[in-house]
Amino acid sequence: MTRYKRQDPEITRRKFINVAMGTTAAVGGVSLLSTLGAANPVFRLTADKMPPLEGDILVHAEESKEGRPITVADLSTQLVRAWAQGQDENGQPVIRKGDPNNILAVYRFPQGQLVAPTNLDATVDGQIVVYSDICTHAGCSVSDSDINAGQMRCPCHSGEYDPKRGAIVTGGPPPKPLAQLPIRQDGERLVVAGFFLSPPYPYHNNEAEWNNVKEEVEEALT
Amino acid sequence: MNQWLDDRLHISRLNDKFLRKAFPVHHSFFLGEITLFSLIILILTGILLALSYEPSNSMVVNSFDPGTVDAPNLVPAAYHSALKINAAPFGDMLRRIHHWTANIMVAASVIHMMRIYFTGAFKKPREINWWIGMLLLIFAALTAVTGYVLPYDNYAYNTLKVIYSIAASIPWVGEWVAQAAFAGKFPGDGVIPRVYGYHIMLLPGILLALTAAHMLIMIKQKHTQPQYAKRIAYKKIVGVPLMTQQTPIMLMLTLLFAGIIVLFSAFIPVHPVEHFGPPSTTPIDNIKPDWYLLWVFGVLAIIPGFEFNLLGGNINSEFVGAILLPTLTLGAMFAVPMLDRSKENLYYAENPTNHPVRLGIGVAFMMLLAVWSVAGYKPELISSGILTTENANTVLWIATFLVPALSYFFVQAVVRGIRALREADERDRTVHAAHADD
Ligand code: FES
Repeated sequence: MTRYKRQDPEITRRKFINVAMGTTAAVGGVSLLSTLGAANPVFRLTADKMPPLEGDILVHAEESKEGRPITVADLSTQLVRAWAQGQDENGQPVIRKGDPNNILAVYRFPQGQLVAPTNLDATVDGQIVVYSDICTHAGCSVSDSDINAGQMRCPCHSGEYDPKRGAIVTGGPPPKPLAQLPIRQDGERLVVAGFFLSPPYPYHNNEAEWNNVKEEVEEALT
Repeated sequence: MNQWLDDRLHISRLNDKFLRKAFPVHHSFFLGEITLFSLIILILTGILLALSYEPSNSMVVNSFDPGTVDAPNLVPAAYHSALKINAAPFGDMLRRIHHWTANIMVAASVIHMMRIYFTGAFKKPREINWWIGMLLLIFAALTAVTGYVLPYDNYAYNTLKVIYSIAASIPWVGEWVAQAAFAGKFPGDGVIPRVYGYHIMLLPGILLALTAAHMLIMIKQKHTQPQYAKRIAYKKIVGVPLMTQQTPIMLMLTLLFAGIIVLFSAFIPVHPVEHFGPPSTTPIDNIKPDWYLLWVFGVLAIIPGFEFNLLGGNINSEFVGAILLPTLTLGAMFAVPMLDRSKENLYYAENPTNHPVRLGIGVAFMMLLAVWSVAGYKPELISSGILTTENANTVLWIATFLVPALSYFFVQAVVRGIRALREADERDRTVHAAHADD
C-alpha cells in the first residue's frame, strides 16, 4: 500500500463498465417506473357520475323504491336516502349513482327546528333540508344515530352530525359538516337548485378541486 | 440409490447444513412454526378458492335470484362468485378455513414476536431477522385486508371505501396514490381485478420471499438457546435435529393445528356474504376491522376532527390517525433492536424478569394497543351506558396514557416481588447446603 493513490490518466475499463451499467440500470428503472402511470386509469365524466345538478329531481335510493320520485309526504325527521336524477346527452333520465359519493340525506323537520348554520334559503320553507350523506371523514354513508336521538352517526368511526344545525360535527373525527344541497319544491317533487353549498366528500378538503369539478360539469353540459 | 442421489444433489451436504439443524426443545419455539404452517394452509386453500372466484366487479345477473327480464337482479361478478363458492360442496367451509387460518397466522406471529421481544432474542446478531419479521407482520396484515375486499359484498365495499380514503388522505400525493392503487376513482371499474392481483400474486410473493429469507437467516444464525441449554452444555447448540426428531413433532403439530382450524371452521361461521348483500349505499352498523387492526380504528374513533394546511398539503385527523400514528407505532417496533447496545452476540434466551424495564415497556405497549382496541368499541360502550357521548373521548384519552403507565409500574412491582422470592429461595438453599455440609 502506498500512501499516494496512482492517478490514472485514462478511464479504466472497469470504471467504464461500471458507469455504463449504472446508467443502464438507472434509465431502465426510471422507464419501468413510468409504466406505473398506467396504473392510474383516465377518468371520464359521464352523466351518471356528475354531482347533483340544478334541475335534477330527487328519487329514492332505497333498493325497494329506487328511482321513485320523493314526495313531501315521504319525509320525516328520519333520514331518507336519495339520489339525484337528471338527464344524459340523449335526454334520457339517468340516476346519478355512478359516483356513490352522490348519495343524499333528506330530512323534514317541523317549522322552526332547523336553525343556523343551516342555510335556510336553500331549504324548502325552512323544513326540508338535503345534505350529502357521505361522511367527511373517510366517506362512509351516514345514518340516523341509534344512540342519540335526532343526531346522525357515521358507523365507520363514530362521527356525529346534527342535521338540524347544518349537519355540524358534534362528535368523532370528521373534519367538516356534511355539505348542504340547495333544493326547491316543484309540485309534489323536490328539485335540486344548484351545486352543493360547500365542497362535498371527496373534495371537502380542497375547495379548488371542487371548483374544477363544477367548471368541468358546466363545460360538459354546454 | 443413496449414493446415486448424493453424487448429483449433494444430499449429504444438505443433510449437514439444514436437515440436522438443531431445534430447541421448548413449546414457545413452536409459535414461528405455527405461523409457517398457517401460511402453507393459506396458500393451499387460497389456490382452491382462486379456482372458483371471478375477479371482476362488472355486473352480472344473480343466478340465485335473477329478478325479471326487464328488471334483472344485477350484482357484481365477484360477489356472485362468492355466493357460488358458498353454495358449492364444502365451499363455505373452504372460505372459513382460509379466514380462520389467516387470523391464526397473525395471532401466532404476534405472540411469536412477543416471545422474541421478551426474551431479548432480537439482540445482536439477530436484528435483521427482527426487521424481516416486522415486514412479514405488515405484509401479512396487508394481505389480509386485501383478502377482505374480494367477496365484494356490502361489508367489503365499505371497507374498501375506508381504505381508499385513508390512502387519499396522504397530503400532497394522496389522491394520486389512491387512484393508482385502486384503479381509478372509488369504486373504479377495475378495482377488484387490481386488488385480486395484490392478494393472490404480489403480496403472497412478497410474503414467501420474506419467509424464505427469515428462515435462511434463522438456520444460519441458529435459534437462541433456551436457558436450560446453558446448564447442560455451555456454549454448545442443544436441541433435536430437524431430521428425524423434529420432523415428526412438526408433523404432529401441523395435523393437530389443522384439526383445530377445521373444527373452528365447522362451527364458527365467518363473513356471511349473503347477509351483507351486494354493495349498496346502506351503511353497515358497527362495521369493524379485524382484531389486529382494531387499534387503528380505535384511534380514529377518539381523535378529534381537525385539518390544516401545510405547504399546500392537507393534514387531517384521518391521515394522522390512520397513517401517521400507526407508522410511528410500527417505527417504534422497528427500532427495538437499535435500543440495545450490546457488543456481544446473544446465545441464551434471557429471563424477562432480569430485564424489568424492557418487560415493563413491552407490557405497557401492549396495554396501549389494547386501550385503543377497546376505543374501537366506542359506539358499543356508549350504547351500553358505560360511557356517554360527552365523556367517551376524554375517558378513552385518559386511559390511553394512564393504563400503559400504570401497567409499567405494576410490572416493576411484580418483578420486584419475584426477585425477593427468588433471593429468599437462594438464601434458603445456601442455609440448607450449609446444613448438609455439617
Ligand atoms: S368515515 Fe365517518 S367517521 Fe370515519
